[in-house]
Amino acid sequence: MLLKMEGISKNYGDVRANRQIDYDLKPGEVHAIVGENGAGKTTLMRILYGMEQPSSGTIRIGGREVRFADPKDAIAHGIGMVHQHFMLFQNFTVAENIVIGKEPGKLRFDRKAAVAQVEALSEKYGIRVDPKARIVDCPLGVQQRVEILKVLYQGAEIIILDEPTGVLTPLEVGELLEAIRTLTKQGKSFILISHKLNEVMSAADRITVLRDGEVTGVLEASRTSIEELSRLMVGRPLAAMDKQPASPKDKVLEIKELSVLGSGSKPAVDSVSLHVRAGEIVGIAGISGNGQSELLQAISGLTKPAGGTVALLGADVTGKSAREFRNAGLAHIPEDRYVWGASKSATVAETGTMGHQRKLGKLGFLQGRTVKARVSEWIKQYAIKAGSPDNETQNLSGGNLQKLIVAREIAQQTPFLIAAEPTRGVDIGAMETIHEQLLRKRDAGGAILLVSSELSEILKLSDRILVMYEGKIVGELQEGEATEEKLSLLMVGGKRNG
Amino acid sequence: MDKWKKLTASLLGPTAAIALGLLAGSIAIVIAGGSILETYAEMWKGAFGSFYFLASTLNRATPVILVGLGAAIAFRSGFFNLGAQGQMALGGLAAALTALYVPGPGWLVAVVSMLVGIAAGGLWSAFAGYMDARFRMNLLITTLLLNYIATLFASYMVAYPFKDKTGSAAMAQSQMIDNAIWLPKLFKGMPAHVGLLLALAAMVALYVYLTRTVSGYEARMMGGNPLFAVYGGVRRTPLMLGVMFASGGLAGLAGAGEVLGSQYRYIDNSFVAADFAWTGIMAALLANAHPVGTAIAAFFLVALQTGGMGVEMNTDVPLEIGDVIQAVLILFITVKFVRGFRRRRKEGDPNGAAV
Amino acid sequence: MEQLFDLALFNSALRMLTPILLAALGGALCARVGLFNVGLEGLMLIGAFSAIVGNHYFGNTGAAIAFSIGCVSLFALLFAYLCIHLRANVIVVGIAMNLLAAGLTTFSLRTLFNVKGAYYNKDMVGLPKWDIPLIKDIPVVGDILSGHSPLVYLAFVLVGAMWYYFYRTIGGFRFLAAGDNPLAARSLGIQVRRYQYGAMLACGVLCALAGAQLSLGQVTMFTEGMTAGRGFIALVATMLGQSGPLGVAAASLLFGLMDAFSIRLQGFAMPSHFTQMVPYAVTIAAMFLFKNKEFVKDAQSSGTSSR
Repeated sequence: MLLKMEGISKNYGDVRANRQIDYDLKPGEVHAIVGENGAGKTTLMRILYGMEQPSSGTIRIGGREVRFADPKDAIAHGIGMVHQHFMLFQNFTVAENIVIGKEPGKLRFDRKAAVAQVEALSEKYGIRVDPKARIVDCPLGVQQRVEILKVLYQGAEIIILDEPTGVLTPLEVGELLEAIRTLTKQGKSFILISHKLNEVMSAADRITVLRDGEVTGVLEASRTSIEELSRLMVGRPLAAMDKQPASPKDKVLEIKELSVLGSGSKPAVDSVSLHVRAGEIVGIAGISGNGQSELLQAISGLTKPAGGTVALLGADVTGKSAREFRNAGLAHIPEDRYVWGASKSATVAETGTMGHQRKLGKLGFLQGRTVKARVSEWIKQYAIKAGSPDNETQNLSGGNLQKLIVAREIAQQTPFLIAAEPTRGVDIGAMETIHEQLLRKRDAGGAILLVSSELSEILKLSDRILVMYEGKIVGELQEGEATEEKLSLLMVGGKRNG
Repeated sequence: MDKWKKLTASLLGPTAAIALGLLAGSIAIVIAGGSILETYAEMWKGAFGSFYFLASTLNRATPVILVGLGAAIAFRSGFFNLGAQGQMALGGLAAALTALYVPGPGWLVAVVSMLVGIAAGGLWSAFAGYMDARFRMNLLITTLLLNYIATLFASYMVAYPFKDKTGSAAMAQSQMIDNAIWLPKLFKGMPAHVGLLLALAAMVALYVYLTRTVSGYEARMMGGNPLFAVYGGVRRTPLMLGVMFASGGLAGLAGAGEVLGSQYRYIDNSFVAADFAWTGIMAALLANAHPVGTAIAAFFLVALQTGGMGVEMNTDVPLEIGDVIQAVLILFITVKFVRGFRRRRKEGDPNGAAV
Repeated sequence: MEQLFDLALFNSALRMLTPILLAALGGALCARVGLFNVGLEGLMLIGAFSAIVGNHYFGNTGAAIAFSIGCVSLFALLFAYLCIHLRANVIVVGIAMNLLAAGLTTFSLRTLFNVKGAYYNKDMVGLPKWDIPLIKDIPVVGDILSGHSPLVYLAFVLVGAMWYYFYRTIGGFRFLAAGDNPLAARSLGIQVRRYQYGAMLACGVLCALAGAQLSLGQVTMFTEGMTAGRGFIALVATMLGQSGPLGVAAASLLFGLMDAFSIRLQGFAMPSHFTQMVPYAVTIAAMFLFKNKEFVKDAQSSGTSSR
């Protein structure tokens, strides 16, 4: 056995993130770990990579017990990790990113040798990169290859891939799976962390399922099914969604030829036209980084567009401030709850007041009691674990904060709602609550623009689906005709019928 | 119950900082060759030992409280306005010139002079806010640099065009203001003047503004997470200009009050020498920009200064002992951030958001 | 105009820019690892004062500078500890550091020398003036470049050294990496904190040298608040130079020239108040030309990194 983890537990205060987890890995094997968000996958890998210390349990490599104080120790023992969010230095070149930590040269950094070594490595494993390109200029698929080459350069025998396909195009996913096969033939072993079961099924030899920090099953990939895995992952049958067909009415949001400048020469949003009607959910699918963020900022008053028009309920609001958008009928579940959606040092009540403050004001004074009463109501209705409304926002967990934000934005009772990544990083229960609320809003005649990088979420909620690729809308599908395959193809710029 | 816990917790930090400040002061006293107990006793007497001393402490505290409140409103909104010195100088100068050259009944001229002082300080401060909002020039640095320009300008005004040529030729100062315009004293023959009441009123007003009004809520959210505030429909530029005007206006009022109620003329360098502006900013930092706390801290810091004068008069320890205690205090208030940090770590989100 | 611009002006510009340049290099080191050091002014003031103290007690400029470096390093370490370990707000600690420096130097001036405002003693030795053998004989260049204190030359040597460190060495590469993406650096086992401490400590040393040049470089004396905003001007030079050694040197050159210019203007029939404003006004004007990032983008990048 190459790697053996036994009885690993990890507690954060009262939260038990890992409980008595056993896990092992053979040479040349791909052993996947699956589980919902918050099941403890990331914590387990952080322990293995020396970023966290286990509360109890042992790790053995090649039979010898090891302890990792920091990632450096783990790297020295042949463990490499490709993080979900790439750990790359944007302004450095590919070669610099690969050799960092083990640079050629003594005091002086020999950049020529670095380039040569990277070329040799790239040759040896058949993973193509341009060593002199800067990371900012590389597409995400290339960045991932750089990450893999980096851990190989560090001499990794065990490679941890944390949600490796989240940002990749299907074509790139295919290349990744191919690379994994090539590398396992050369004796490398992989720990694949994912919640995408079909990918796991095609890539892994064995699969360990986690739920609530515990192992609920260790299965041979050849002798299990997606159904069995999802049952083990979720632990209960999912409530069936009760989604009635939509009955769209008047146009609420109408965008014409909208363009937003990007950081480079290409526009981030390239003359996009779309509309959302009352009583429908329009989903925007796309791999993140294809202009969705910029589009959302332009239709919520956070960025000024370079061209085109935005109209809400017939009123032209192009280039106006966020306040004017809100006054015109916008509510907005932002894509990053910590950056846009909350103030960590504010109280729960204060975070819950945002956007309502002018409606809850009388002669310029805020009605403190009304605010607290409302927030308390949401806490009950959405089952938010928040303690009191006077608690600080930073003490909420991600899922609970997300529920608070959703409650706040739905309570704006505006004709139009932007829901960006509404369930990113929340557990199943919270996800069900949030989906139910979005549908209820639609049925009450709300117009909703849903942007999500999770195809399953888009497919589950949308009445109409638009696909965004390189800043453009490249396709539109009705609820019935959309499938994961068709969308995936469009998401990478493929032709609709091609 | 929860509120009491919160209150005691919030008092713990300042208390510890004060203890450390006094400890550092003790070390300084020993180095300066004094006796600790005797020195602190003299300090107490110098600040509060008689009604006269108390009144003079209150008198000195008046501009410091106003400047502190001005700094507090800016800090709460996330704007580092460090330009109180220049704003106060311009406020004082403008008030003095108005009082000297505008005709009318004394009380009216006094009121107008104060308003002009507020406007001068406020506009100078809002100018820095404008440069940040419009041209993205770092506010913290521009306000600091504008200090030098404003104080030099005020010095020039009383050294050349508006110099009082009747008195001693060496002093750069304006003429004396007519005594009908002087702000009345609170107690006969005692230094404190009605400006103190204005400062306390400003404290209450600022407290109400921050905790009870819509605009105050928006300002606080801007200070907590500006992106969240903008997302929620807070307009940054008007808020910034308004807050900066209020902040500089309070500093301007501090200068005007000092001129109209205490010095009766604008004397070059007198504000800088008394260190009103930086003491006020310290008070705001010390109290984490809470209005009432800022006023209390301002009073306490000033007591250290007036107490220091008593110390110098009666012992061998120089009056700057007050400065040392202040400086150590200010450094250790940062420790309060630690508590928040530890708690966050403990209750960290296990989903890896802590990466 | 001949009187306004002559060789002596450039000669004094070199002298005036040295404290700004040294402090700005320190500021650049801190900025590169994500510490916006507002405390340059205070560290420089402590440096200037402790250099005089060292000079007074040891009667030797070398020992004085060493003493100054020791003192300022102590404060820089305290600064670093509060910001890095205790996670105090860097700006707040920086402001506090400036106040502490002002208070401590004033108090110590009274207790150690029993004077107020300024300390001057004709027995103290200033920094030597170095004549550079060959260069001093070249007509124009020699007049400008020769006859400065060693710190002036050291400042320029340090610009080159910093450039070499950043762009040619492994240590410098990792230093830049730690600042570029601390999260990624930590994931590779690079001790980001160690680089932050190193930057702060080096910044302390540089500020000590800057202060020593102020108090020992021209006239050997200390006056209260003698840094007179140079720390803040240095901070602007750091920003203008985008924290690169060459850019910082260029920006410091501009500000040093303005400093020298403002002193030169005093010889003309103009109130000194206005001539003294020149460096500050020029600094503000320079900030106008170099714009910060757009507020939303700026806040976004700082917001995500603090998550």
